[in-house]
Amino acid sequence: MRTGDEMLAFGEAAMQRARSDAAEVIVSEETSELTRFAANRIHQSVAERALRVRARVIGDSRVGVAELRGEGEDAAGRVMRSAEQARALSQPSAVSPLPAPDGGADEPVAFSEHTATATPEQRADMVAAVTAAAAAAGLNAYGSLSTTTSSTAIVNSNGIRRQATSTQSSMVVVVRGDDGAGYAASHSASLGGIDGAAVAAEVIETCERNQHATAVEPGDYEVVLSPYAVTDLLEHLSWVGFSALAKQEQRSFMRLGERLMSDTVSVLDDCKDPALFPFPFDAEGVSTKVVTMIDRGTCAAFVYDTPTAASDGVTSTGHGLPQPNTWGPYARHLVMRPGGVAHAELIAGVRRGIYVTRLWYVRDVHPLRTIITGMTREGTLLIEDGVLTRPVRDLRFTQSVVEALDSVLQMSSDRRLELGEDGTAVLTPWLHLARFSFTS
Amino acid sequence: MRLREKASLYSPSVRDLADRALDAAAAAGAGYADCRVVSRTVHGLTVKNGAVARVALSDDEGLGVRVLVDGSWGFASSDRLDPMSIETTARHAVRIARAAARVNADPVRLAPLAPLTGEYRTPVLRDPFEVSLDAKLQLLMQTDAAMAGVAGVRVRESSLEFVREHRFFASSEGMALDQTIIESGGGLDATATGDDELQVRSFPNSFGRHQLCAGWEAIDEMQLPQNAERVAAEAVALLTAEQCPSGRMTVILDSTQAAMQVHESCGHATELDRSLGFEAAFAGTSFLTPELLGNFRYGSELVTLTADATSPRGLGTFGWDDEGVAAQRTLLVDQGTFTGFMSSRETAAAIGRESNGTMRADGWSRLPLIRMTNVNLEPGESSLEEMIAGTERGVYLETNRSWSIDDRRLNFQFGTQNGWEIVDGKRTRLVRNALYSGITPEFWRSCDAVAGPQEWRMYGVVNCGKGQPVQLMHVGHGAAPCRFRDVHVEPAG
Repeated sequence: MRTGDEMLAFGEAAMQRARSDAAEVIVSEETSELTRFAANRIHQSVAERALRVRARVIGDSRVGVAELRGEGEDAAGRVMRSAEQARALSQPSAVSPLPAPDGGADEPVAFSEHTATATPEQRADMVAAVTAAAAAAGLNAYGSLSTTTSSTAIVNSNGIRRQATSTQSSMVVVVRGDDGAGYAASHSASLGGIDGAAVAAEVIETCERNQHATAVEPGDYEVVLSPYAVTDLLEHLSWVGFSALAKQEQRSFMRLGERLMSDTVSVLDDCKDPALFPFPFDAEGVSTKVVTMIDRGTCAAFVYDTPTAASDGVTSTGHGLPQPNTWGPYARHLVMRPGGVAHAELIAGVRRGIYVTRLWYVRDVHPLRTIITGMTREGTLLIEDGVLTRPVRDLRFTQSVVEALDSVLQMSSDRRLELGEDGTAVLTPWLHLARFSFTS
Repeated sequence: MRLREKASLYSPSVRDLADRALDAAAAAGAGYADCRVVSRTVHGLTVKNGAVARVALSDDEGLGVRVLVDGSWGFASSDRLDPMSIETTARHAVRIARAAARVNADPVRLAPLAPLTGEYRTPVLRDPFEVSLDAKLQLLMQTDAAMAGVAGVRVRESSLEFVREHRFFASSEGMALDQTIIESGGGLDATATGDDELQVRSFPNSFGRHQLCAGWEAIDEMQLPQNAERVAAEAVALLTAEQCPSGRMTVILDSTQAAMQVHESCGHATELDRSLGFEAAFAGTSFLTPELLGNFRYGSELVTLTADATSPRGLGTFGWDDEGVAAQRTLLVDQGTFTGFMSSRETAAAIGRESNGTMRADGWSRLPLIRMTNVNLEPGESSLEEMIAGTERGVYLETNRSWSIDDRRLNFQFGTQNGWEIVDGKRTRLVRNALYSGITPEFWRSCDAVAGPQEWRMYGVVNCGKGQPVQLMHVGHGAAPCRFRDVHVEPAG
């Protein structure tokens, strides 16, 4: 891969080709490898590398954008020519200006040499350890182990010049028995931070508990949600409500200053937390700030990019996606403040309820009311008198996330990192909720 | 190196790239190898609230090499197309496969395939890349202006997208296939908001746009400006519409929602890799298993479903799949009976069959997987008018808004943007926030009418996710309005 200086030089060389008044270039280079397994066998194992260049040019109230993936001849010149062509053919509109340097440092960044230099043999060996553990228990393992290195450079004609190189390793495992399955996952900047034996032990235990499930009647239940499940709830809130654009378009459930959730609930976006793949700037090169969106149950703040900040007369919080876009800013380092008891004690506090390991296919039903639907998956267990007693068949839920988080009875002191469906990093405790609505 | 604008079987540069990769893979020990050289151009335009929100031109080119070594797969891809990088990529694929082979006991076997060469190009009446960006923006501005005339619409968005993809496939078995796929898509969304309500209406379909393997003529046919005001007015009307009724009743789906129902409950359920567990950790498995072939009642006798990569204008229409298997039509469900899976050379061999050509990759950088081609609900003999007239109590539901199904493709819940209450054979009032739910085979067994060819339409889904790393595939669904009895319906919220 290119060095940081080479990435910046590539971006600046592209920017030199711009003819418009203002220009921005985002250069990203990624190498990613993934070893995938099914039924204790590696069935798909892949590697990819690519350079992406995105140019945005602004002039005469017109914007043009071009993107290129590929190390072809004169990539910098081609992408800039395309952007200029797009700008020339566009029509005058309100244009958001490019941001200026804010003095932020290009750190902290989640980076590990261990991940950056991982080999197919290392991944195969780690997978083999998991599949061997499953086989020894008479079970079959399915999942993936990935290692990714990404380098990003952003330059613009206002003087922004940012670069960072990050890594990510992820192990996701489902273990299946004759009639039921379990799930566990682990994510870290370093491949060495993935404890394959611990993942295997957790998923095998869940799988063995989750055999021969029987049905329970749908209805409202007291629940304990694992961090894997809570992740989906928080990622959903980020999509539908934490964005300033959602507020400006009246699509957000958030009403600043209003308490909507239990006062035990605080949710922030923290791109500096070392557990959350820290990354220092957004896709406009603006330093990302720590933002508390929900403070003790009360709507406290939105995340901003440059266009939405200009519209509200505030400063961007550094949560921009590549501009221009119609989605608005996005919080992708979500943290829920922990509680004060170990997660096992949450289960002990339930007389009759359901433990949910994981949610699946979570989709909007009514975004303004944060109503979502989805299924439980790979570890839905009945809790009776404080003990996990038996597995129950997976259930469909249809539930307002805000109302669920208004019914928090307790949350655990221990937390887990999980990645959401869209890759959002979420650090969250286990939650004990008074009510969760299962509909079929 | 930059690929020629029009890759061709007779283009030595692309053939040379592929041959170099195959030679390097063989030299490194691959027993089988294939190579795809892909160049994709996408033009995307969006107008939002009267302003040009996006004019984006993108190019993407690279090469992927897939190998079998000691019975295990390896795949590597790169955007570096110089000879040394191509050889490095091929050797890396072999190294990956060899590492996997250390873990694997049973070797992969491939269903046989005769070598062939050929060319395919999407038939278009007017190449969308020859229509000026200015004309495209004018169309979107007209569409936006028509929506802007409707009071109460908070967000207006309309978009166009055009894709041109050159694919060259070669294999160590002697295949050399050259394809050019062209797609044209467009659509509009109108969002209306009230104090505690948000309603969206989309046209011609939800998820931003409707897309086909076709030229500019597909955009002309949509008549976006002509439909914009009506659709925007529907969004506003939904704000004050009554909530959808609740209970068990008859449900009639419009053709767009029928397409979504087919996608989730039939398309994914009949992917053989899911059934064999390949996707168990991510996309899930399927309630349909090989033992059920030919003896499972999936739906009523009116239900016939096909995977047809030859359907005109479908997003899953091509000459050959990404293993070199020719496009074909497969009966998945024949008059209600489950009869077929979508398969690959590996999975077909596992159940003693031949591949029916559904391996597709999201560009050069990703491994081909079993993906839907055009999974179609074949037309029946009824009509929407006749279905409504034959309904005592029910709802007619239009345009998907929410979709969720379990990891075995059984328990589903869908929501739609529009609903119309039906009473005594007549469409009466508009209702909002409609949800319906069910269990896949019970639902399809309750189908008692499918509209005929005159109401059958081809739709495209451009966001079908599967695989790790995740791949987004463009797939097609032909469908017509259809009716289901005794379905659970309720309002959201």
